[in-house]
Amino acid sequence: MNLDGMRHHALNEAVDAVVIGTGAGGAPVLARLAAAGLRVVALEAGPNFAPAAFAFDETLADEIYWTGERLSGGTTPEAFGANNSGTGVGGSTLHWGAFVPRPDRRDLALHTETGEGCDWPVGLDELVPFYERVERFIGVSGADPYPWDPGRRYPLPPVPRNGPAEIMALACGQRGLRATDAPAAVVSRPFAQEGGPEREACINCGYCHQGCRNGAKASMDVTYLPLALRHGAEIRPGSVAHGLERDASGRVTAVVYRRDGVDHRQLCGAVFLCAGAVETPRLLLNLGLANASGQVGRNYMGHVATQVWGSFPDPIRMNRGYPSSLISEDMVRPRDADFAGGYLVQSLGVQPLTLANAVARTRGLWGPALHACLDGYNHLAGIGINGETLPCDENRLTLSDETDALGLRKAQISFGYSENERRLNAHATALMRDLWEAAGARDIWVLERVAHTLGTCRMGRSGDAAVVDPYGRSFDIPNLWISDGSTFPSSLAANPALTIMALALRSAEAFLERARDG
Amino acid sequence: MPRSDNSPDLLVALHFLGGSARTWEPVARRLAGTVGCLALDLPGFGAAAGTTGYDVAAMADHVAAAIRAARPRRFALAGHSMGAKVALALARRSEDGDPDLAGLSHLVLVAGSPPSPEPIAEERRRAMLAWIGADAETRAREARAFIRQNVGAPLAPGDEDAATADVLRAAPDAWRAWLESGANEDWAARIGVLRTPALILAGGDDADLGPAGQAALTAPHLAHARTRVLDGAGHLLPLERPDAVAAEIAAHLAAAAPADPAPARIPADYAALIASERVNPRLRAALVERAEPDDPAYAPAALDPVALALLRAVVARVLPEAGFDIAARLDARLASGAGDGWRFSRLPPDAHAYRAGLRSLDAAARAEGAPFLARDGAGRDALLRAAQEGRLAVPETADPRLDAEQMVLWFEDLRADAVRTYLAHPATLARLGFSGIGAGGTGTPDPDGLARNLPGFVRTGRNDPEPWEPEPWEPEPWEPGQSAPAEAVR
Ligand SMILES: Cc1cc2nc3c(=O)[nH]c(=O)nc-3n(C[C@H](O)[C@H](O)[C@H](O)COP(=O)(O)OP(=O)(O)OC[C@H]3O[C@@H](n4cnc5c(N)ncnc54)[C@H](O)[C@@H]3O)c2cc1C
Ligand code: SF4
Repeated sequence: MNLDGMRHHALNEAVDAVVIGTGAGGAPVLARLAAAGLRVVALEAGPNFAPAAFAFDETLADEIYWTGERLSGGTTPEAFGANNSGTGVGGSTLHWGAFVPRPDRRDLALHTETGEGCDWPVGLDELVPFYERVERFIGVSGADPYPWDPGRRYPLPPVPRNGPAEIMALACGQRGLRATDAPAAVVSRPFAQEGGPEREACINCGYCHQGCRNGAKASMDVTYLPLALRHGAEIRPGSVAHGLERDASGRVTAVVYRRDGVDHRQLCGAVFLCAGAVETPRLLLNLGLANASGQVGRNYMGHVATQVWGSFPDPIRMNRGYPSSLISEDMVRPRDADFAGGYLVQSLGVQPLTLANAVARTRGLWGPALHACLDGYNHLAGIGINGETLPCDENRLTLSDETDALGLRKAQISFGYSENERRLNAHATALMRDLWEAAGARDIWVLERVAHTLGTCRMGRSGDAAVVDPYGRSFDIPNLWISDGSTFPSSLAANPALTIMALALRSAEAFLERARDG
Repeated sequence: MPRSDNSPDLLVALHFLGGSARTWEPVARRLAGTVGCLALDLPGFGAAAGTTGYDVAAMADHVAAAIRAARPRRFALAGHSMGAKVALALARRSEDGDPDLAGLSHLVLVAGSPPSPEPIAEERRRAMLAWIGADAETRAREARAFIRQNVGAPLAPGDEDAATADVLRAAPDAWRAWLESGANEDWAARIGVLRTPALILAGGDDADLGPAGQAALTAPHLAHARTRVLDGAGHLLPLERPDAVAAEIAAHLAAAAPADPAPARIPADYAALIASERVNPRLRAALVERAEPDDPAYAPAALDPVALALLRAVVARVLPEAGFDIAARLDARLASGAGDGWRFSRLPPDAHAYRAGLRSLDAAARAEGAPFLARDGAGRDALLRAAQEGRLAVPETADPRLDAEQMVLWFEDLRADAVRTYLAHPATLARLGFSGIGAGGTGTPDPDGLARNLPGFVRTGRNDPEPWEPEPWEPEPWEPGQSAPAEAVR
C-alpha cells in the first residue's frame, strides 16, 4: 500500500498505543484508535507490498506467507505457511479467501446448548452491530435474502458463481439442501472505500489466495490500514517485535523490535498484540508474560476443513472466478448429528499447485496416477466445510528448543481431533460425497484438512481460566491488549476473520472508553 | 572406427592395486589403430615400485607430471579399480582449470573404485594386509590366489603368471597404504559432479565394484555416463576381456560430445500466450526462467552427489513424466534455506530430513539385497510404497536415519515439494491447459499500488471457456536426455 506522506513518530515519544501485527485483528484497532485521535504506531514483521506487483502465480505468492518455521505435531498435524499464515502489511488478509459468514447465534453459547465446548463471554446481539459496520466498511457481497438470517442485508450483490458453485447448487437442489451465493468480502461493483482508494470490481481472476491485484478483495491494506493512515497512524513494515519493557508496576512502557537487523525501542502507553494465534502466544511464552492463568498456548484450534473432490465430464476450469462462491448453512445443526455444533458447506475452486499439493501429500498419489489426476485439472471441482472444533486441553502451543534468527524459541503446535471432530468430520464427509455423487462426479476423493489458527489466549470472565477479559485486555498486564484469532474461546463453525475484525473494533472502543474514563 | 573432432590423441591408463602399466598392454595393443596408449606405473607399483607418495593426491600428482611431459593435445583418462579413483581426482583438477590437464576429453572407469570409501569386507582387507609382508612362499601363493579371486573365469596361464608377478613386484608399503587409507579416502565432496563424458565398465560377476556398486557410488558423480556391464567377468577386466574393453573404449572415444541440454518443450500456442499481453511481465519473466534447461552437471549444494542421484531416482518415480530436473531444483531450494513455514515436529529440519530420508531408503534397499540406484522401476516403487505405508524396514545402522514412521512423513513432504516444483514449470501448465496465467496482464498501476483495468475472466461458469483459453497439451513421452539420471545400459 502507499505509505507516502505517512506521519512519523519518534522512538522516544510515548505514543498512545503500539499495535503489533497489521492483519485482521490489528488493522481495525489501528484505524479505530487513530480515528479517535490517538497517536498509534503499527509494527509489522512482513514487508509492504504494492498489490499491482502480485503476479497471479502460486510460487511467486510465497512472499505473502509467513515462512518462519513452526513445528507441527499431534495426531492431526496442521500445515502452516500457505495453508493459513500470512505476513506483510495486511497480515493474512493478503491471501485470505474473504469468505465471511457470520457465526451462528448458537455457536457462541455451545456449552449452554450441549454441555460441550464453551460459551463466549459475549453474545451475538452485542456483536451484530459490529458485524454490520465491518461488512459495510470493507464491502461484502452476498445473497439477498440470506436464507438463514432473513433480516440480514449485504451491501453489495453477489459475485458470479464459478463452475464448482454451479455444481454444488445443482447437487444441493437434488438433495433438498438450501444453498446460496456466499457472503464474500470482495466487491462485486466498483466501491468507494471510506478513507481509502476507490476499489475496482472483482475481475473473477480466481487468485484471491495469491494476493488480489486490484483491491477488489477486502484485505486490510485497502480498507482499514489506509483509513488508519489518513487519521495519522504510522505503519512500520519489516519490524519484528520481540520484547516488551515494563515498569515497576508491571505496565508495558516500550516495545522492542528489530528492523533491518537493528533493535529499536518504541515508547508507548499501551500495546495491542495482534500477531495471530501462533505468534502472539509464542511471544508471550518466550517473554514469560501475561500467563498467570497458565492458559497461554492452550486450546489451540484449527477448523475441521475437510474437502471432497471429484471429476466432471464438462470442463470446469475452477481457476476462474471467486473461489468459494456458494454456501450452505443447513448443516450448522444437522438434524441427525451425533456431535455438538456443526459446519458450513462451501464450493471450492483452487489453483493447480494447491490442488497438486493436496493430491500428492494427502491423497497420497504418485507415479502415473498422480499425473493422471493432475492432467484432469480442468475437470475438477471441490466442495468443503468449515466445522466446529471444540477447545481441548491437549491441543496446545508450546515452545520448541530450537530458536529462530532472533533467538526466540520456535512454536511447537500439537493438534489432534477429538471424538466430536471425528464425528462431525464423518458426517460432513458422507454428506459431501453424496452431493458430489448426485452431481455426477467420478473419481471422488476426500481431502482431510485443518484450516485457520485460533485459540491459545482465550478470552473469558475470570483471570483464573482466561488470558484476556471479554474485551481483549490482559488480566495480568492492564495496558496489554490482544486482538487476533488467539482470543477465541471456541472455534465457531464460521470462518474467523469477520469475527476477528468485529472483536477488534469492540476492543478498540473498550480501550477508548477506559482511556476516557481515566 | 571413425574419429570425431572430440577424439583424443592419447589414452592415459592407470592400473589396479597390484597391477602395473603392463595390465593395460592387451587393451593398448587392440586400440593401436585408434588411439595411442600411455600406460603408467603408479607410485609403488611396476617400474615405479621405488617411488613413494601413495595417497590419492600424490598418485594424481605423479600422473599429472607424466601427462605434462607427454603434452597431448587432447587425452582420455582410463583408470582400473584403484586407478579409477586417481582418474576421478585428476578429472576434477582438469575441470577446475589445471592447465596441465586442460586437454582431458573422456573418462573411462573400469571396475572403478568410487570417490567415496571403497566398500571392502573387513576380513578380506585384514587378510590382504597380513600376507603382503609374509615370507616369500606365502606371498607367492597368496598373490596368485588374489588374482584368481578377482576374475570371473581363469586367465590364460601366461597372463596369470604376469599378473601374479606384478603383485609381488609392488612395494608392500604402497599396497598397505591403499588398503589402510587410500581406499578409505573420501573424495566424494571434492569430486562432486564431473562434466567429462565417462564410460563405466563393470564386471557382471565383480563383487563390491560390480554393476550395483558402480550405479550406487560412481555414476552419481558423472553428468554424462554410460555404463556397460561385461557379463561373466570379474574385477580384472583389462586382463579378462581385452577385446570388449578395447571395443567399448573405442566406441566411447568416437561418440559425439554430449549435446547441450534441450530447452523445455512448450507448445507454440502456450508459448504465444506466455508472450502475450494477457500475462503480466513479472510472471512471464518467472515462467521463462523456470523453462531454462537444467545443468546436467548441476553441483548439489544441500545434498551430496549420491544423495542427489537418489533424489532424482525417487522423483522419477513420483513424477515420471516431469521432463526436467526437479531434484536439482529441490536441492537448490533446500540449500537456500527457504522454508514453507512449518515442518512436522517428528522430522528434523528439511535439508537434514532429506539426507536422512534418502540414506534410510537406500539402507533399506541394501538390506533387501541391492542399493536403491541399482534397482529397476518396480523395485524402486516397492520400496517407496513401503515407505508411504509405514513399513519400510530401515536398518538401525543407517546414519543419518529416519524410522518407518518418519519415512511416511518425509516421503509425504517430498511428494509435496516435487509437485510444487513441477507445477511451477510452464510446460506443466501447458500440459494441464491451465488458463490462469492469462487472467491478468499488466493493467495500469495507480499511485495506491493497485492495478487498474485488468482483463480477468468474463466467463466463470462450467463448460463456458473464453475463446483464448488453452486446451490441454499431450506431450510425447519424455526421452530421458541430458538431465536424466545416469542409467545403466546393458
Ligand atoms: C489461505 C487462507 C485463506 C483464508 N481464508 C479465509 C476466509 O475465507 N475467511 C476467513 O474468515 N478467514 C480466512 N482465513 C483466515 C484469516 O485470514 C485469519 O483468520 C485472519 O487473518 C487472522 O487474523 P489475525 O489478526 O489473527 O492474524 P494475521 O491476519 O495473520 O495477522 C498477524 C500479523 O502479525 C504479524 N506479526 C506476527 N508476529 C509479529 C511480530 N513479532 N512483530 C510484528 N508483526 C508480527 C504477521 O506478519 C501478520 O501480518 C484464511 C487464511 C489463509 C491463510
Ligand atoms: S477473484 Fe476477485 S477478489 Fe479474488 S483476487 Fe481476483 S479480482 Fe481479487
